[in-house]
Formats: sequence, C-alpha cells, structure tokens
Amino acid sequence: MSTSNLLNQDFDADEDDQDFDAGHLDQDAEGEPDDEVPPAGGHVDDDDEEDDEEEDDEEDDEEDEDDDLPQRKRARRPPRNQFLDIEADVSDEDEEDPDEDEEDGAEAGFIADEGDRPELSDLRQYPRDDHRHRELDRKHEAEQAEDMEQIAAGFKERHGRSARRRMEDSQVVPRRLLLPSVNDPSIWGVKCKPGKEREIIFSILRKQEELANTKAPLQITSAFERGNTMPGYIYVEAKKQADVMHALQGVSFVYPMTKMILVPIKEMPDLLFVMKKAEITPGTWVRFKRGKYQGDLAQVENVLASGLEVKIRMVPRLDYGNGADMDEPNGSKRKRNPFGKSGSLAGRPPQRLFSEVEARKNHAKYLSQSTQGLKKVFTYLGDEYEDGYYIKDVKLNLIQTENVNPTLEEVSKFASGGDDGTESLDLNALAQSLKKTVSTYQVGDTVEVYDGEQNGLVGKAVSVHGDIVTLDVLEGPLKGKRTEVPFKGLRKRFNPGDHVKVTGGSRFRDEVGMVLRINEDRVTLISDTGMTEITVFSKDLREASESGGMETGGKYDLHDLVQLDATTVACVTKIDRESVRIIDQLGNIRTIMPSQIASKLSNRRPNVATDRNGSEIRVGDTVKETGGETRSGVILHIFRSFAFLHNREETSNAGVFVCRTNNVATIAAKGGRITNNQPTGPDLSKMNPAMQRNGRSPDSSAMPPPRTGGRDRTIGQTVTIRQGPYKGLVGIIKDATDDTARVELHTKNKIVTIEKAKLSFKDLHSGNTKSYQEFMRPGGRGDGGGYGRSPSMASDRASSWSGSRTPQSGFSGSRTPAYNPGNKTPAWLNASDGSRTPGYFAGSKTPAYGMDGSRTSYAGNKTPAWNPSSRTPYASDNDRSTWDAGSKTPGRPNLDSFMDSNSTGSSHNNSSYSARTPGASYNASSPDFIPPSYNSKELSAPTPGGPISAPTPAMSAPTPGPISAPTPRDAYSGAWGGPETAPTPAPYGAAPTPGASGSYGSGNAGGGSGGSRDPRGGYYQGAPTPAGGYGNPRTPGVWAGDDDEIRYAEPTTL
Amino acid sequence: MFFIHELNRTITLHPSYFGPHMRDYLIHKLHEDVEGSCTGRYFIICVIEYENITLGRIIPGKGDAEFTITYKAVVWRPFKGETVDGVVSSVNKMGFFAEVGPLTVFVSSHLIPRDIKFDPTSNPPQFSDNGDQIINKGAHIRIKLMGTRSDVGKMHAIGSIKEDYLGYDMPHYVEMFV
Repeated sequence: MSTSNLLNQDFDADEDDQDFDAGHLDQDAEGEPDDEVPPAGGHVDDDDEEDDEEEDDEEDDEEDEDDDLPQRKRARRPPRNQFLDIEADVSDEDEEDPDEDEEDGAEAGFIADEGDRPELSDLRQYPRDDHRHRELDRKHEAEQAEDMEQIAAGFKERHGRSARRRMEDSQVVPRRLLLPSVNDPSIWGVKCKPGKEREIIFSILRKQEELANTKAPLQITSAFERGNTMPGYIYVEAKKQADVMHALQGVSFVYPMTKMILVPIKEMPDLLFVMKKAEITPGTWVRFKRGKYQGDLAQVENVLASGLEVKIRMVPRLDYGNGADMDEPNGSKRKRNPFGKSGSLAGRPPQRLFSEVEARKNHAKYLSQSTQGLKKVFTYLGDEYEDGYYIKDVKLNLIQTENVNPTLEEVSKFASGGDDGTESLDLNALAQSLKKTVSTYQVGDTVEVYDGEQNGLVGKAVSVHGDIVTLDVLEGPLKGKRTEVPFKGLRKRFNPGDHVKVTGGSRFRDEVGMVLRINEDRVTLISDTGMTEITVFSKDLREASESGGMETGGKYDLHDLVQLDATTVACVTKIDRESVRIIDQLGNIRTIMPSQIASKLSNRRPNVATDRNGSEIRVGDTVKETGGETRSGVILHIFRSFAFLHNREETSNAGVFVCRTNNVATIAAKGGRITNNQPTGPDLSKMNPAMQRNGRSPDSSAMPPPRTGGRDRTIGQTVTIRQGPYKGLVGIIKDATDDTARVELHTKNKIVTIEKAKLSFKDLHSGNTKSYQEFMRPGGRGDGGGYGRSPSMASDRASSWSGSRTPQSGFSGSRTPAYNPGNKTPAWLNASDGSRTPGYFAGSKTPAYGMDGSRTSYAGNKTPAWNPSSRTPYASDNDRSTWDAGSKTPGRPNLDSFMDSNSTGSSHNNSSYSARTPGASYNASSPDFIPPSYNSKELSAPTPGGPISAPTPAMSAPTPGPISAPTPRDAYSGAWGGPETAPTPAPYGAAPTPGASGSYGSGNAGGGSGGSRDPRGGYYQGAPTPAGGYGNPRTPGVWAGDDDEIRYAEPTTL
Repeated sequence: MFFIHELNRTITLHPSYFGPHMRDYLIHKLHEDVEGSCTGRYFIICVIEYENITLGRIIPGKGDAEFTITYKAVVWRPFKGETVDGVVSSVNKMGFFAEVGPLTVFVSSHLIPRDIKFDPTSNPPQFSDNGDQIINKGAHIRIKLMGTRSDVGKMHAIGSIKEDYLGYDMPHYVEMFV
C-alpha cells in the first residue's frame, strides 16, 4: 500500500521539482504506521486499515476534489504524523493508547466522541507514573502535532496548489528557469553492467526504503537509467559524491569504484530527454531481431489496433521439408530444440518466395489455400503466405525499427514484377526508410525536384546549407532564377551516358561507370572495369571526371600481379573495399583479403616468353589461345609459363583470364615488333631511310648463295677465317650446313663452327682466295668445267660471253692443248687426212683468203682477233635469227654459200663441203667472227651472186680485217694443229707486207661491178698470188684445185 | 563528325637521318605516327596537308633534332547524340559491341528495344526479335551514341538502338558478305 501511495504520489508530482521532498514527507507521514501497526490489536488494525483505505481513496481523489474533506483529513493526520517524527517506542506507546481507548470505549460503550478520548484515557491512566510523563509527552506531541498538522496542511496546500500553480508557472515562468543550476544536486554517471541498469535502480530503491529511517539514510535525491540510449550507465543525483558511493555500496552489477562521471549542468536536461519513437506506418522497412529471420528485412503491412503489434511481410526462408525430417515437418518443434539447426543462422534456408509447387511436393497436407479478394493466400504449416511473401503479426519488440538501412538489393526482393516487366517498387516507402540516411548534395551537382510545389525543376546546386539546397534553375520558365529547396523532394539528376562514380554506401562504392538507364531515382550504370551492370540510387552517385579510372586507396590496383605464396601468383580482377578478387595462375578465382597478399610484383624486368610457334611474346602483345575457347587478349603479365591476358569484351573476371604461354599464338606484337632479339635503342641501320633506299642493309647480303644439291662443295676446302675470334686462322672444312661450316683449324687441333660467310676459300693451285659468295656462284662452276676446272681461268671467265667465244679467249689467253683437240682436232684431222680438205682448202677460199686474211689480219696486227670478240656478241645477236643457226651454224651457212657460189655445180665443192662439215673447226673459231662481216654485206649477196660473186662473198667481209682475221686463224689453227706447219707462220710474217689489200681493193674496185664486192674480188685476185706462193708449202693438192682459180678470176673479170 | 583540323606535331630525329631525304622522312614519319591514332577526344584519320615544317633544333646534349610540323588532318570526333553506322563485333547477354570505324561502341540490353531479345540458345549468340532482325556478329547496325568516354589514347562509347530508325540495317547486304 505504501508503495502504491508512494508511486502514486511520485507520479502525481512527477514534474515538480519538489517532488522528492513531498514524497519523502508523505512517505514519512504514511508509510511508517502501517509497518508498525501489526503489533497492535486487530481492532485498531481494522480501524487503521479503514483509515488508510479512506486516505488512499481520498488521496486518489485529492486532485479531483482537492480539499473536499480537509477537516477530516487534518483530523486524521496528526496521529500519523506524530508517529513519523517520533521514535518508534514512543509511537508504540502511543499505539497502545488507541487500543486502550478502544477497550475503554468498548467498556464505556457509549463513548463515541473521539475528542473525548484523550481526556478519558488521561483520567484513566492517571494513577500510573508513566502517565504523567506520557501526558507531558502527549502535550508535546499535541503541540507538535499541531505544528505537523500545520506543516502537513501547508504541504498539502502547496501540493494541491502546486498542480495549479505549475500550470500557471509554465505559462509565465520561462522554461529555462526550471533548469538545474549550481545549487541543485549534481548528477553522477556510474558504470554498470550493461543490461542490468533497471535492476540496479530497483535495488537502489529497495535500499533506500530499507535505510530510510535508519541513522544513515541514503542521501541521494534520485537515481535513474537511460536504457537503450546510454547502456552501461546509471545516473545518481546527490549533493556529494560520497553519498553516491554510499548509496551504491553493496549493490551488485554497478561499479562505483571506477571513475564516476559528473554530468555537467548543461547536459543534465539532455539526460531526461525522451527519444521520440519512430512512427511505424504501413510500408516502412523493419528488421527482424531474432529467430530464423534474424536480420532479415521486412515490410510493415499494417499496424494492428493495439499499436503493439504489426503485420509484416517478408521473404520466407523455407526448406519445404527437404532439409528437415520428413515425418516431423513441424518446424516449431525443432526450433525449440536449442541444438536444432533450423534456428541457427548458418543453416537456415535462403530467402526465397513461397512456392506452392514445392510446398505441395512434400507437405501437401499442411498446405491449404484460400482467396482474399483477388489474391491467393496459402496457409502452410500454420503460417500465412501471400503472393509468395510470408505474412506475420509480430510484437513491436521483436522488430527493429531504427537504423534499418535497407539496401537496394534487399528492397528489390520485395519488388514484384509488373505486367510489363518493369519492377514496381514502393518508392515512397523506400524513400521514407532512407530519409534518414545522409544524402549529401555538393555544390555543382545537378539536381531535380521531384516532390512539392516546384516539382520538375532542374537546377545546379550553388550552395548547401543544412538541409537546404540553393540552386540555379537550368530549365523551364524559371531558368536563371535562384531558388531554395529542402533536401526532401530533391534528387540528383543524371543523363544516360554520363560518367559517374558510386559514392554512397552500397557495396558498389567507388565503382566508376557510364549511366545506361534512369528509372525514377534508380540509376543503372555499366562499370568501366568490367562489363557489369550496377543499379544504385542516384543519391549514391556523383559525376566522375571525364577520364580517370577506379580510384583506389588501397595498395593494389586493378590488374596488378600479386604474389600469394611462394608458388602462386595472381592477377587482381576486382577491388572492393575490404577484399580483392583475384585470378591465380591456375585460373582459380578467389576473393581474398588484401592482407593475404604477400607482395605485389611490379617492375619486373621485361618478361619474355615464346608462344606456340616459338615467336617471342611480351607484355602488351595481342595473342590468341590456340586451344580451348580461342579467346584472344592482350598480355598483362607473364609469369613463368603462364600468361595473364585481358580482353575487354570478356564479361567474366573483368576480362582477365589465364593460359599457358605455349598455348597461345601471336596476333600482333606490340608496336609492330617483328621478332628476334631487339637491341636496346633504335636500330640505326634500319632507321635511316637513306640506307634503306639503297635497297639493302649493310649486314644482309644481296642474294643468298644458291642452293646446291648433293654434297656441299665447301667440304674439304681449305679456308681462312676472316672474322671473329679465329680470324686469320686456316683450316679445312670438315662438315657444313647451309650457313655454317665446321672448320678444323690447322693451328690447334680443334674444330670450330663458323658461318660460311666468314670464311674465305683458298685455291690450292693459284693461291687466290675467294669469298664464299664467289666460291659458290653458279657461273663460276660452268666455267670451271669448261676450263677443265682450272681455277686460274676464273679470272677470264668473267669476260667470256659464250661458248662460241671461248675458243677465242682460250686462244688468246692460253692455248692449252686440251682446248684445241676438243673442238678442232677432228676437223683438222679430217681435213688433213681426207683428200678433200686439201682440195677444199686449195680449191676454195681457205688458202686463198686464208692467205689474204692472214696477211691482212697481220697487217692489222693481231687486234682483229681481239676486236671481233667484242663485236661478236653483236653479230651473234642478229645473225642467229637471220641465219637460223646455233652458234655454229653461222659458220656453216657461210660455207654453204661459199660452196654454192664458189663451185658452180662442181662436185668438188660438194665433197669439200661435205668434208668440211666437221668444219667444226671453223665453227669453233670463225663463225662468230665471220657473221658480222657477212651480216651487213653478205646477206643477199651470196645467193644471187652465186655464180659470179660467190667467191667474193665468201670472205667478202667488207672490212678485210675481220674477215681475214678469222680465216687465217682457221688456217693457222689448222696449220698449228698440224705439226709441221711451222713454215706458215713464216709466210705470214711475210704476208703482211703484200697485204696491200688496199691496193687490191682499189684496183679491183675500178673494174668490179659491185662496188663493195669488187674490192674483194680484187682482193681475192690479189690474194691468189700470194696464195700461190703460199700454196706451195701446203699440199700440192691444193694447187690441183687451182682450176678453181677460174672462179676467182671470174669475179674479177666480172 | 568529321572535321579538318589543324594540328601540330613535334618529331625528334636521330642524327643518322640528317641528309637530303630528311624532309621526306619527316613527312613519312608524321603519317606513320599520326594517322589512325586517337588523342582521347578524336581520331586522326588522314593527314592532308603540311603547312610548315620548322627548322630542326638540336636538342642539347643528345644530338637529336626536333622538328615541329604544322599540318591539317581529317579527324573524326564522335559526339554524344550522334547517329553512326557500325558493324557488330561481339554479342553477349549484356548487350553487344559494335565497331564504328576505330571506335568501339557498347549497346547495353537496356538500350535495345524490348522486342529484340537476347537469344541464349543461338550459336553464335545473337539478339533477335524472332523475325527479320537478327543482330549477331557482323550485322550492320545504326546506333545513336549515348555517351563517350575518353581514356589516354583510346575512346569508348555506349550507344542505343532504342529509337526510331535505329538498329538493324541492310539485311541483304549483310547476308551476302558475312
């Protein structure tokens, strides 16, 4: 009862500064008697109880009726009050009185007047000694009671009035005057065990009650706790710290010995602030506090009438009996089991919307269905599911309504798909939940007003003050104006294509990307780093600089190569705030803490590997996998035999993948590098255009040496090394490849491998040296053969033009016997042996013009022999075609024409002709020479002029020189060939002199019909003479053929 | 959009080039260096004219000579909102990449009309409306650039075909040549 009184009073007076005084007084006044009463008789007890009850009632009514029964009260009060201030024994005595009084009264029977009682008792107790004392005491008491009465009345009045006055005060007195001042008790904050605050306060209260009337009552004025706001602290109000210590002594869970905090006066009122609870309205987001759904986001559907329960909607976590025992689908039973896993967070099923199909599969009997309006509602295992969501009525204390901070991901689970595929999300509710989350606008942000009067306004923030943004309007009729808009109803505005960065608190923080789509205040962007799409609230975005990648505060950057342990390296594919995603050399993808990375591998010396084809690959090259998915990419890193490649178009792992270097092929080398060892610095020989224009760079040969089949010709050659460390040494090639030779050195018994190009080949015969090029040149080989491989001829080869000329050169150069026999001998032999040859010679031109020729030629000294050579090519060029013959033919036709023209039908000629065929001798030597002379002049001549001029033509070379030259040679050759012809030279020697060919020519010319031929004729004419002389040494047979002279004569005559 | 733009370029020449053909070489090198490059804002397509080649300045301490060439070039700068034609280079479920000359443009599936959907079963991957329009690798496409992004030496862009007159282009031509 007393407590209830106390409480009542406390509550009644709870706002009054003087509460405590009043309370204590009241307590003093009322509390004690009850405790003390029991020892007295039951009657009194009853009476007292009645009184008390009445008082209770009265006090309850006090405020209403105020002083309706002040009399009675005051009358009653004194006896009680007197107990309060007087010691217990006294009051005991005092209490006895009523008992006696009662008894007396009972005895007296009729005495009902209370006022009389004391006197009666006085009278009755007179005889006792004590009574006098008591009387005295009682007088005192009476007086005191009077005082107390007055005091009590005063209090009552004050108390009663205070309610009224307070009302007036609050109107008049400024609130700040009610605030605590230095004169008021201080408040100490004391540490305690969190969660025990309330318990501690109650034990203090009990202690206070116990000690209230002892010698050492608690000297504290109040004690309180702040629950959730300040867990771990209680607050005690007292004048002195020692009082606090005293009050807390022996109270468990509180630690007064630790440092107490004296609450500054200014902060005192704050301790008593009541936090206004967030108002819960349908649509707000809350979180489940415990159980299977701990931490899950839920949405308030409805607040029930009591205000203590709400209906929430959340995504269920059901396993439909799959994980649980089939026979015991009742999850609740399991849940009660502390060891059951269904209640644990780890083993709980994932959030998934309710599926009717799944539920029917195992638990059809626990599933029932009903329809509410258009919606189907399922009841499954006693729970209700609507639209797949779990609908539940929960007590407010089971859910967390503050600091919910729903993320977009969570929220999107509640977004049901609309008919058109768009998500319908209750944005208002979401916005409400997010309202408290800090939304920052910065100067320069483009913002849009989406709510309120100025809906639709777009502007640029100029300044931000508190939660008011000043903006310059960019669009619409208000353009250019400046206006102020509160945060509420404002959102950032972006356009597709903007380059933005995520700043706010989602897990995408610090991603940079380009805006793809904007839906209300949700913005979808595509990340720069990987081809991932991100949807975030526009408030979390900020315009990013035009270029500039991901900003990372961490130690590692995207695409860094990092070392994880001794054998593992990895490439960073994504950087989150606390974690790093990597792909290691084996292609495993992991998310690790940065602390798990041993080191970053940077600035490695240029790393080179070879690809499948053996070409060099380096970082930066573009390569393609040869197997697998044939992905291509740019090499980011090479680690041993692994290459990390990057391809922007790959979606996984930010486009990074790993493969073995011997499993890729180069597509494009970085910077167009081709292959091989690239020297550091520019290659000057290649750089310089002047050198390039010349067609070759100095180190590359003009033409690779020809390939020769069969045995390498260099093998066995003696060579000198021209370059390199062995320069100057001589050796023999033991073995050779295309480019290199193994050379056994003469000096030391060692075989070295050297490029062939660095060797010079030594001719054993001549001692000349040749380069490899020269040694291998194809022409050289032909010549060599021709010359019987005598290398000495090599020098001549160059000048030799054709086979036909060779003899000549051979002639002039050196007359190896071998040479002559090859070509001429047969002819010669034939000629010499056969009768006809002489005949031919004799009869026909040879002797004759041979003579002449010889002379002439000699006259002109030997040059003609040489000159022709220079001419020959010219001649041969033209002749071949006209004369239809090979190199030799020219000679022949000549002969034919000779034959025809010379011997008009003479069989002799024929024979001679035929005999002469072998005239290879001719061929070899003369043909070349002759044709030239023929060409110009003789062409037509021979044939027609057959009869007449035939002879002439034969040797008709207009220029006597040339003609004569060859012929003599023939003759000579023949002569030389012949062993004994020695004489001939002699005549030659003489011959020149007569060589008055000129005279011949002139002479004949006069008589000659054909201008040009005549001279020849004359020439011939003249020729015979010497020929005759000549003839002698020769076979007489020649002369026998002198008949032919006629022929000679003929022309002349003609 | 194409522009004729006047530009400068500084070329450093090694002394081994000093000689009668130096000028030719400078021009040759200019073409080589500049044509087809990207500044981050535009692509240099073609050098058309040289205004001036300064006298060479020897760089102290090196012996190289520095020449500044003023030239005019045709440049292409893609603009936000510009409509361009391109060829699809790769397709994935997120969208497709198209090449517009030197520029790679990404068209997200958000920016593709609703009726053209990604067909995950097809090989090669494609977007199609189950009708004429089949967007696969090699398809010709008309895109509106939604935004461009510049990096050092390269550019990226995103495009949209979610508007009238955009999207799939010239089917017959494509069939013939693809």
